[in-house]
Amino acid sequence: MVKDFKKVLVFGCNTCVAICHAGGEKEAETIATLIRMRAAQEGKQMTVNHLGVMRHCEPEYFEPVMDEVKKYDLVLSTACGVGVNFLSDRTGTVPVYPGINTSFYGAVEAPGVFKELCAGCGDCIVHMTGGICPVARCAKTLMNGPCGGTNKGKCEISRDVDCAWYLIVERMTKLGTLDKLSAIIPPRNWSTARDGGPRRISMEHIREFEEKEAAKTETAGGKK
Amino acid sequence: MAPEDTCTAEPYRPYGAEIKETRPYSPCRAACPAHTDVQAYVGLIAQGKYTEAFEVITSVNPIASVCSMICHHPCEQSCRRCGVDEPLAVRHLKRFAIEKSKDYRRAKRKLVQKTKGKSVGIIGSGPSGLTAARDLADLGYSVTLYEKHPVLGGMLAAAIPPYRLPREVLKEDIDDIISKGVEVKTNFEIGKDAKLDDLAKKHDAVLVAIGLSLSRSLNIPGVEGPGVLLAIPYLEDVAFGRKPALGKKVLVIGGGNVAMDVARSARRLGVQNVEMVCLENEQEIPAWKWEVDEAVEEAIKINYRWGPKAVKRENGKVLGLEVTKVLSVFDANKRFAPTFDNNVTTLLEADTIIITIGQMSKNDLFDDSSVKMDKGRVTWNPATQMSSSKNIFVAGEVVTGPGSAIAAVANGRRAALAMHLYIQGETIEGRLPAQEKETIAQMPSEVVEKISKQPRMKIKHLAPEVRVKTMDHFEMGYSEAEALEEAGRCRGCGGGAVVDQKKCMACLTCMRVCPYGAPVVTSVSEIRPEYCQACGLCAPECPAQAISMVSYDVKEIRNSLPTIIGKVDADRQEPVIVALMCTHHAKVIGVPNNVKAIPVHCTSRIDILDMLKAFESGADGVAIIRCGSGTCKYRDIEPRVNARVKRVQDLLGMLKIESNRLEILSAASNNGGNPYSALCADFSERVKKLGLRARK
Repeated sequence: MVKDFKKVLVFGCNTCVAICHAGGEKEAETIATLIRMRAAQEGKQMTVNHLGVMRHCEPEYFEPVMDEVKKYDLVLSTACGVGVNFLSDRTGTVPVYPGINTSFYGAVEAPGVFKELCAGCGDCIVHMTGGICPVARCAKTLMNGPCGGTNKGKCEISRDVDCAWYLIVERMTKLGTLDKLSAIIPPRNWSTARDGGPRRISMEHIREFEEKEAAKTETAGGKK
Repeated sequence: MAPEDTCTAEPYRPYGAEIKETRPYSPCRAACPAHTDVQAYVGLIAQGKYTEAFEVITSVNPIASVCSMICHHPCEQSCRRCGVDEPLAVRHLKRFAIEKSKDYRRAKRKLVQKTKGKSVGIIGSGPSGLTAARDLADLGYSVTLYEKHPVLGGMLAAAIPPYRLPREVLKEDIDDIISKGVEVKTNFEIGKDAKLDDLAKKHDAVLVAIGLSLSRSLNIPGVEGPGVLLAIPYLEDVAFGRKPALGKKVLVIGGGNVAMDVARSARRLGVQNVEMVCLENEQEIPAWKWEVDEAVEEAIKINYRWGPKAVKRENGKVLGLEVTKVLSVFDANKRFAPTFDNNVTTLLEADTIIITIGQMSKNDLFDDSSVKMDKGRVTWNPATQMSSSKNIFVAGEVVTGPGSAIAAVANGRRAALAMHLYIQGETIEGRLPAQEKETIAQMPSEVVEKISKQPRMKIKHLAPEVRVKTMDHFEMGYSEAEALEEAGRCRGCGGGAVVDQKKCMACLTCMRVCPYGAPVVTSVSEIRPEYCQACGLCAPECPAQAISMVSYDVKEIRNSLPTIIGKVDADRQEPVIVALMCTHHAKVIGVPNNVKAIPVHCTSRIDILDMLKAFESGADGVAIIRCGSGTCKYRDIEPRVNARVKRVQDLLGMLKIESNRLEILSAASNNGGNPYSALCADFSERVKKLGLRARK
């Protein structure tokens, strides 16, 4: 992926991926070292450095180092896919490659164990399913109870995967809200999820203010 | 400022010196009147860096050799290890480092350029005078030391018996100081040979550091006449090898440290029967406990809780001291106010009585001077170290009252800085360093429980019956092995982990890995210094590289590896081995030549980046050498280090580098010989069989 480049920057992201021990500055330095060692093994002349900023998904964090970043032939971003994309849109002619393989957005179940619990579907129903999301946690994303593959609380795809609907029933029994499951719920609108295409949220109260401020600056500054 | 000013050697600053000033001091450092950075120099000793330790010590204390023999070491009394088992033998470690630096210090002596074009006169060459002379000479002043005795050192030379302070030790310190170009006028007494005010006209500033050189006497019947001596003239006789007139039975009045010097030197002058008498009981006696214990070992009897009433004589000859029973020494406010039972008296037989109940300053130099006196004492301003006369400064016991040598050093330093500011026309008030420092709290009990006990390395003394036969020093120095072992006991207070709050994203890793529960994570992590043991385990685990250590550079190993390994010879016959060794095995003799041994204070500080960097720099094999199980001074280190090594082995696998080029080596015990050099040699052979790594 990187061997044809002469000057590579391994660019770490020091928030979520750092917490996950995946792509913080420390990991960026480790990856940079490994690339240098491989280059040396193969007799390739290659400059590989590392850098890190707090986040790749907000411009204010990386703008101060963009002049430095743009000096490289390749930026290997160890941010999640969000950061890689976001940065890539802002580096001009310098390509940005993914330094890590972003898999999902999860919780730290135990040190070093990460678990997917939300799929960001845009139509949350967890209040109706005992706090357990069938969209993210059921292998089939079933909306109305377990399938025939449920087996002593485990999912048929793996003994290591809990059956989400088994958990939902257990939990709602404990909460005394199991009867809620008999309610008739209208069909789901999946257009709020990935099916509806790339999503964008604009928070009106913030945007309105920001736009007003921008307009003020323009008036005050006169014509450019 | 004149450009020559830069010729003045910058004092050595150990790593972390600046950041330490912004944080609470370790209790040892705070307790030292001169604020010697004990944690730094003990740590340097543990790494075998003896001359660097010497620099740390002498940067604040020019009479360090003296203190290594006689200091009452408040650092030890406040050592946080007291709560675990026993305090570090700090004074003895200091002695070791200084003795190891003998050639170094001698080679270092050189004239300091007198760049200031100003002169100072210092009256008295005891601890505070010598210290001020050193500091002012280093600043580029012409310094003249005036000493009434034929030799420099004040009480160190003229009163402290040689069995406590060998004179060649004192000479080393003095030679360091006068080699800077300090002019010395011995046998020169101000008040007799010159007037104080004339001296103040001759110099830009004068320091009066005359100490307390007169013994107090007692106003009791029979005290006048032969057979009754005062401590200081007696001790001067001892110090200069003159035989004081002692009988067969000596009674010392007083229970302080000077009284101990008097009694113990009397034993060494051949008096078999030496007794002491003091107002206090065994708990109240002002002398240090070790002085009392050693005196008792030397067959000196201490009569507690008796007050002197009269010297009994027959035909002028002393028969003994009549004493009254003491009921109490201190009043309810802990003030000295002895009460007696006059009905209970006894006679303590003696033919010689030596009065050692305190000292006062010899003030005649102030007569007909411009310096104001108040009830026999010099008036002074502690905030400026100034007397009432504007260029006459004062320091040491003459103004602070009786204290320790190291307290006089600290006061001498303050005075030197005050004089410098004065001569430069700057304000003094508010510029002299505060004596009281914020201190790291005592170790919480849950931390104490986690620290394995390791007794203090014994300090060996000559047997009492042997040592009382001469005036010679009787305490043996540590061997190198003993010193390294003792230095390894330090818990590194104040040298531990610090979080860069700009980098921390509160991931909880440090909190999860710390064996001592030091980090608390709220919005960011904060590592509590009273919990931190400075093992270094957390820093390599931090995914944001937000943790650094006060006492060492966490990146030092990886940054220095390319230089340490150097250019790897393509035609080499032996593999290049990097051995990252726990300092408990540092300075191990005879590691094979192809092994680059890098001491680390604990293997827990080794980062995966350090190991990778060794391979990147051309190492054929990397060994992590750690304590045998159960001997590690920290806890829960092994599994973390194992995990890091496994991770690096996996990463090396991605580069097709054999995993067994990286190994953890450990020996069951480090007693008897050095198993580590053999381990290194074996590892080197194994790596050789794997082949030498080629580079294209």
